Amino acid sequence: MSQPQPLEAVFKLERSLGASWPSIRAAHDATVMLHERLGQALDQFTSEDTSVVIFGSAARFEVTSQSDTDWLYLVDGQADPRHRDSAIGVTREIEKIGNEPGPEGTFGTLASSHDLVQFIGGRDDTNANLTRRILLLLESRPIGRREAYDRVVRAVLDRYLSGDHGWISGHAPYGIPRFLQNDIARYWRTVAVDFAYKQWTRNNEGWALRSAKLRMSRKLTYAAGLLYCFHLATAERNAPLPSRESLHKHQGIDALSDLTHRTPLDILAQAFLSSESLHEYAKRAFDAYDRFLGLLNLEEDRTHLKTLRPEDADGDRRYQLVRNIGEEFQAGLTHLFLENTATQYPALIKAYGVF
Amino acid sequence: MPPIGFSTGALFKDALSDGVTAALQMHLEVIELSALRFRELASLVEFVHAADLTAFHYVSLHAPTDYTAEQEPAVASALLTLANQFHWPVVVHPDCIVNQEVWKPFGQWLCIENMDKRKKAGRTLEELQSVFGAFPDARLCFDIAHARQVDSSMTEAYRILRELSNRICQIHMSEVTSSSKHDRISESAVAAFREVADQLPLNAPVILETPVTPEQALGEIAQAARIFAPAAPTFVAVVPA
Repeated sequence: MSQPQPLEAVFKLERSLGASWPSIRAAHDATVMLHERLGQALDQFTSEDTSVVIFGSAARFEVTSQSDTDWLYLVDGQADPRHRDSAIGVTREIEKIGNEPGPEGTFGTLASSHDLVQFIGGRDDTNANLTRRILLLLESRPIGRREAYDRVVRAVLDRYLSGDHGWISGHAPYGIPRFLQNDIARYWRTVAVDFAYKQWTRNNEGWALRSAKLRMSRKLTYAAGLLYCFHLATAERNAPLPSRESLHKHQGIDALSDLTHRTPLDILAQAFLSSESLHEYAKRAFDAYDRFLGLLNLEEDRTHLKTLRPEDADGDRRYQLVRNIGEEFQAGLTHLFLENTATQYPALIKAYGVF
Repeated sequence: MPPIGFSTGALFKDALSDGVTAALQMHLEVIELSALRFRELASLVEFVHAADLTAFHYVSLHAPTDYTAEQEPAVASALLTLANQFHWPVVVHPDCIVNQEVWKPFGQWLCIENMDKRKKAGRTLEELQSVFGAFPDARLCFDIAHARQVDSSMTEAYRILRELSNRICQIHMSEVTSSSKHDRISESAVAAFREVADQLPLNAPVILETPVTPEQALGEIAQAARIFAPAAPTFVAVVPA
């Protein structure tokens, strides 16, 4: 089975609309170059039981000039003290390339598959564990050998689907995996709450840049997460199930693990491609996203947003641009998910989006 | 339920005739004659010409996995002679095939085994399809434990069975540890294997690769048989109104 090329659906949408998204294309090209460098530097640390997994913009194919490189050294095998040495080796190589992970400590370290698979909910499911798990499904990419990565993605999906009695027994309306969808919604709400937490604890430092990301890239990941769950939707509200539960589960894991290999922008573009009646709003959403990436790629704008304080935002030209871009992107999402009934999405949001 | 037997290497490592004797004493109907090491091949050839194996309804041979490129033509030639003479499938690891030309004459008697996670070929559906592209008449030895080790959710097993179940001529069963050693079938393995049990062809013999003593062998067969047993009925308590 051949995997789709990164941003393939985005470029198809661009052609269909007669649009031009140079910043998305530049980010794609920068990401391809980064992946080549990472591959050459990090392949030596990967094995059948260990993968280097990148997250964030590097996984979304949205690398701009100041992007971090969020990564995990994912271990799915026998415990071995030498795994720590390998994680240190990965750190050194990524430092040499000049893209370090963000400061939160969620990434840039070693992670065990067992925590990701076993701790879903409950007190052991920390903020970091939740973030790693959801982003593993929605915006991740292995560098070097990928066997451990592929196993863990499927094992996590196994937990969500086999642990969802309503879904696996066919009682979920339209066949949406509610356990998974609830956890993706939890992640999005956590990101939104942490935005306020970081504003408070960092004395507003970096506030405007984080605001721009919350309105755009973080929201994109959530929207793609909804579409990820909606991918399993049945045409009818109470459609018949496959003949047995394990077959239902395997079909679901097969479909979702395939979707894990696609970028959030591709998942969103594919949704907009499903009806011509969505094209006007598709253009608004993707034009806005292109402008967002263009903004991030300009060092002067990025630095300005990094240092802007909330009390100065209302009169600030660049922040007004961020607001406008955010509103355009939101208009596209609102039309797709809530207004245009050419697709099933408004019915699914009604069934799952709030309660 | 399919017939269940053993690989001789699981019953008696390095002692082919002892393995066959033990299988006959247990009245097993299916057996795999194992020569996993190149040095065992000559004695395998000698043994099958001398032994009476007519009590078995199904016999397969497991090719060596440690031969060199120079030894490969001789290995294939010896096994092809046996396959043509006895009409027994020959189980071959895809990563051991260096010179495809010497294996092509096997046709349907070539039985490709799906691999464990250590190998770089033959582990997934796509990797197996690539192998079968070179050997269109070959059949599949579906190692369910290897498939589980590659993907504990059993989704890869489901995918392989969905596309290739019509090629299966036998099933390898065991527990495979994280370090890729065969072990006895655990409860979690039974639960995992049951998830795809109804995709397994019932006429394909199951060959156990679990390292057991002859005293443990019948218990291990009973454990394997549980995979094919119908699900226990769910009893619902009826409370009078």
